[in-house]
Amino acid sequence: MSIIEVKNVCKNYTLNKITVPALKNVSLDVAAGEFLALAGPSGSGKTTLLNMIGCIDAPTSGEIWFDQQNTGGLDSDALADLRAQKISFVFQNFNLLPVLTAVENVEYALFSKSLTPKERRKRAEAALDSMGLLRLAAHKPLEMSGGQQQRVAIARAIVREPLVVLADEPTANLDRKTGQEIVALMRECNRRQGTTFIFSTHDQKVIDVAGRVVSVWDGEVHS
Amino acid sequence: MRLALRLALRNIFRHRGRSLITISTITFGCVALIFVGGFFEDVSLQMREAYISSQLGHIQVYRRGFNEHGRKEPYKYLIDNPDVVKALLRTFPEVQYATSRLQFSGLLSTGIKTATFIGQGIEVRNEKTVSRDPGEGTRAFVKKNPESLPMVIEGRGLSDVGAYEILLGKGLAENMKAAINSPVTLLTNSVHGAINALDVNIRGVFETAQKDFDDIFIRLPLATAQRLLSTRSVQSVVIKLRRTEDTERIYKSLARMIKVKKMDLELRRWEDLADFYYKTVALFQTFYRVIRLVVGIVVVLGIFNTMNMSVMERITEIGTIMALGARRRGVMILFLLEGLLLGCIGGGVGTICGIVVVRAVSKVGIVMPPAPGTTSEWLATVQIVPSIILSTFVLAVLVGGISSLYPAYKASRLQIVEALRYR
Repeated sequence: MSIIEVKNVCKNYTLNKITVPALKNVSLDVAAGEFLALAGPSGSGKTTLLNMIGCIDAPTSGEIWFDQQNTGGLDSDALADLRAQKISFVFQNFNLLPVLTAVENVEYALFSKSLTPKERRKRAEAALDSMGLLRLAAHKPLEMSGGQQQRVAIARAIVREPLVVLADEPTANLDRKTGQEIVALMRECNRRQGTTFIFSTHDQKVIDVAGRVVSVWDGEVHS
Repeated sequence: MRLALRLALRNIFRHRGRSLITISTITFGCVALIFVGGFFEDVSLQMREAYISSQLGHIQVYRRGFNEHGRKEPYKYLIDNPDVVKALLRTFPEVQYATSRLQFSGLLSTGIKTATFIGQGIEVRNEKTVSRDPGEGTRAFVKKNPESLPMVIEGRGLSDVGAYEILLGKGLAENMKAAINSPVTLLTNSVHGAINALDVNIRGVFETAQKDFDDIFIRLPLATAQRLLSTRSVQSVVIKLRRTEDTERIYKSLARMIKVKKMDLELRRWEDLADFYYKTVALFQTFYRVIRLVVGIVVVLGIFNTMNMSVMERITEIGTIMALGARRRGVMILFLLEGLLLGCIGGGVGTICGIVVVRAVSKVGIVMPPAPGTTSEWLATVQIVPSIILSTFVLAVLVGGISSLYPAYKASRLQIVEALRYR
């Protein structure tokens, strides 16, 4: 069953009165539990497509259905609630909140859940532990390496058990070995929890691990 | 909420130097407001008590009709039985003293110079406590040592109930060039309209806070004044209460009692007669409002600058928390919380510092030049006024919130994708 349906989506950007198409009539179905790579060179439209799926950007035309719901008719609050309940992100630059410790960063992702502070802390520690980072729970992002930060970011993404994790070039700022470890961790979460992962990359070694690869070239999708 | 508070608090101290400057601005503003407010309060309080002590008392009792017609025919509205009135007043434990007065005007002559005067016949024993009378000091209008400055600045105070002696106001004494213990003649109309004269000795020269009063008034024993006016009546009974705050309550009780007993009397409160005091207090309040506005604007600009910079530096973070599912309102609350916390911290520190500064300054006191219409230097202190302290703290918190409204709104309106792309 499709958890995401992208139907004839176009996205245009206007720069200095010139319209630049970023996505051209893209259609894509993603089934629940997939480990999907969006492959393509820089500027091909991967990030734009991820942003549309993640409901943080709106298409110029076309529809995006998320978990049987058309996201086009939702207002800003409803989209925020949808993201809080069902979608998580992993960013190329990790994007951890620098004033919070590792465990607090993970806890922060649980703000929308009705949990006691104790339960929240317990779940955050468990997520960190699954990334092998419990010993760094009290460390702030700047006290950790890039790989460690990205693992905290993955813990933050999976701790609220979303339907989909969207990862935009999650290995781009990491060395090859660390990058492979990160992808392996994502794959492990995908297998263990059944969480759908969609990630963009142009790294062939990462692409090789994907369950399905969708190529994005010049704003068009080639399955 | 706890995590949001922790996040807000840590973001405040992310740039310690900048936050310290902002908190110092709020602190300084709070200290200034508490100090100036307390200073104005002290000046008003001293002025009020000086008026009450030196001239007005808390409540004045007159024969009915005196306040309306007494100016034209003062002797038609005299109280014939002041002891009955005083006996009535003694039933109120809040009344410290009640004393009779008889006021009249006339000519004062040394044989060389003549001047008009207003005479005040007083009960010597009572007026020592009711007024800031010879020998008695008060904390108001006194330089350096508030308790010991004699109000009789030359000669001595009135000695006896029926002695033929007077005290001259400072200005009048200077004008008459009258020497202590020298004789003068008082010339006035008796209550029956006849011209009457009395030779009296100048016992001393007094000074009050009011120059106008000192320029024209003389004081003499009530019995002497009654002899001069050929009457046994008095014009008013002046009541001094133990606490000024009881004035309204006692006034109402007395008014009720006078009505029930159908007494031919009427009352005036000190507030009804202290027009200058109320105008001065109103002026101070306007000054204070202007100062509060100026301080408020300075603090608003300080916090606004800090919060605006904070938003600009954290655009990617704002994008991240919105991508994680925070609503726009949630982002706004986060920044408002930071502004309110800044206001709370600055207001808290400012309040404590304000109290410390006020206490320190009050220990030493501030020597002030004579106020308009007065002749004496005086020692000001600064009052710790709970309502001013509370309103200053609330103002600091409110200003913190108001200053961060626009930055918070700006943060909440960011486009997530652009915020995430921002470097």
